[in-house]
Amino acid sequence: MSDSEAPAAPEVSTEDGSPAETPDRSSPTTPDNSTDVAPTRKARRRPEIQPVAEVEEKPKVEEQPAEAPTPSQSTVSQGGWGYWGSWGKTILSTATATVATVGQGLTQVIEKAETSLGFPSPTELSARVEEEQKEQAESSSETDRVPGDGSAAVESAFGMLSSLTSVVQSTGKTMITGGLDALEFIGKKTMDVIAEGDPGFKKTKGLMNRNSTLSQVLREAKEREEQQTAETESSDSEKKTVAHYGMLFDEFQGLSHLEALEILSRESESKVKSVLTTLSGDERVQLREDLELIKESFSLVEFDDEEVDEKKDEDGSEFERELTESLEGLSVTATAEKLSKACRSTCSQITDMTKPEQEEEGSEEGVKKTLSVEEVHAAAIRSLAELTARSIELFHKLAEMILFSNSSTEASALSQLTVVLCKEISLLSKKFTSCLTTAGSNEKGDVLNPLITGVFLEASNSASYIQDAFQLLRPIVEISHIQRSAESTEQ
Amino acid sequence: MAYAYLFKYIIIGDTGVGKSCLLLQFTDKRFQPVHDLTIGVEFGARMITIDGKQIKLQIWDTAGQESFRSITRSYYRGAAGALLVYDITRRDTFNHLTTWLEDARQHSNSNMVIMLIGNKSDLESRREVKKEEGEAFAREHGLIFMETSAKTASNVEEAFINTAKEIYEKIQEGVFDINNEANGIKIGPQHPTTNSTLSGNQGGQQAGGGCC
Repeated sequence: MSDSEAPAAPEVSTEDGSPAETPDRSSPTTPDNSTDVAPTRKARRRPEIQPVAEVEEKPKVEEQPAEAPTPSQSTVSQGGWGYWGSWGKTILSTATATVATVGQGLTQVIEKAETSLGFPSPTELSARVEEEQKEQAESSSETDRVPGDGSAAVESAFGMLSSLTSVVQSTGKTMITGGLDALEFIGKKTMDVIAEGDPGFKKTKGLMNRNSTLSQVLREAKEREEQQTAETESSDSEKKTVAHYGMLFDEFQGLSHLEALEILSRESESKVKSVLTTLSGDERVQLREDLELIKESFSLVEFDDEEVDEKKDEDGSEFERELTESLEGLSVTATAEKLSKACRSTCSQITDMTKPEQEEEGSEEGVKKTLSVEEVHAAAIRSLAELTARSIELFHKLAEMILFSNSSTEASALSQLTVVLCKEISLLSKKFTSCLTTAGSNEKGDVLNPLITGVFLEASNSASYIQDAFQLLRPIVEISHIQRSAESTEQ
Repeated sequence: MAYAYLFKYIIIGDTGVGKSCLLLQFTDKRFQPVHDLTIGVEFGARMITIDGKQIKLQIWDTAGQESFRSITRSYYRGAAGALLVYDITRRDTFNHLTTWLEDARQHSNSNMVIMLIGNKSDLESRREVKKEEGEAFAREHGLIFMETSAKTASNVEEAFINTAKEIYEKIQEGVFDINNEANGIKIGPQHPTTNSTLSGNQGGQQAGGGCC
């Protein structure tokens, strides 16, 4: 009976930041589960104690009067976030900064996310654990020794997946199916936290099915949205401006391009494997070294979100220049042009949004130039979906051109391209949220905050999709390299 | 928005026979006399109705150029339908049909419905391939046949929709395993596979028909 409950206790006791020795000492007393617990503890990389202080400071920030919308203060409260991936870090800290000025709803969401990721306040946590232990003691007969149930118990004591899920559900519908990809906004290391609560990922696998491909994940998200739209349409006929990222992404043919890219990637991957099996001796060693080099240049993608300057690049020309630069000699101009165009129109949209005041004074007609927050939000989601779809299309076309022309393509150029695209997504999401803040200066926090969170979440999703698509190019670069070196030895 | 089924199509055939124009006419109802060469594959999608059911066609328009062949072949797999297109004013495009057909049969599933299309029927004066020849080829190889004009839109709707009807019939007959995505068919989101908690879900089929 205590089998399912016991692993939870040592797990949780580290959560409040107390030294990791505590569970170690306790484990000998529960020899039965020590095997279950030990491997997960190894995987853990806990942050310092800072996060706890961070959580406790939060309410103070919240209480500040909601005025002076200065959403760009992205440096507030970064102290405790070092643990997060750089992308998630800035998103969340920016979001927190925004919230400090406009309301409290989002803070709650973020706090919830924090707690679910292992930064709960000690008092809250201990109370919760006690409660849940009681509950489990009562229902322990059910959750006895079945492995699946065991991990479920751990999970509920940990409160992790369930609350993460609810955060995600309340903000972006695509997130939940996003699985691992969705979690990337929080930083890859989050997986450690989950691993603690769910040894072997027994429970988590259902939620984060890594076997499913990116396009499947997106397709499922889209289908769910379609279903929801169908349901809401039948129930109430009034048309709301609801933006569905997944559906829009599909509308811009993002899914199809992704699917095609996945096909090419998979086929190249198996070709590379079969080449490796046919080679022997020095040739094989040499090829392995080459592939290792390619792999390395694909793992180097990192971009510092903080460098992204909101003021820069009003009309998207800077992005266009960078894009052209990184695509030099890759012969995909037509597709790149589509992307630039999408970016330009987004930029001009933002420009229109940011200066509606003057136009209104000019034309006293009262054409109602100012957009509602929902409209700004819809525009933001649409732009993100379009830019992401176009980026995926670009990667797909690149893949085709690499395979087609068999020209030497430097992985570093592709990685540079990925950085450029992700930066642009980040920049635009920041611009859009500041538009939202302006447009919603009269709105209540609980209206505005979910919208802002939504934009940030979809932006981080977009960046994840782009980075995943970039990874799909690796086998293609590899097989192209193999073919080229085969040709050169023949001559 | 919601659909009962999604069918994946591929359009194949020699370069310049009007594959992309057929797609554009079908999805956008317009004709563009000058079209960029297709690189690899491009996409189009449209919703149609068969037997009162919404069906989404996801169309993969492949490059016709020989040099792209090794790439485009990769896309054949998982298609439920194929439009094999030749140009009635160019005999060579008709002569290459056998190669295309072999290629298609080899790289896709055996149940794939293939529609043979003689395009540019508006250019009667320049015709090099008789309609009877097309019909004979189709009969011989078990294909459906149609002459179309992407320019005048003649028979374009029919070509896409008749292919879908054939696939739909095969589904009804149980020839296609709709749960195997390799067949190029996906069941739409309204089928109650995951949707169980919602209230009025007695009789999934009825609910599906009613909401559209």
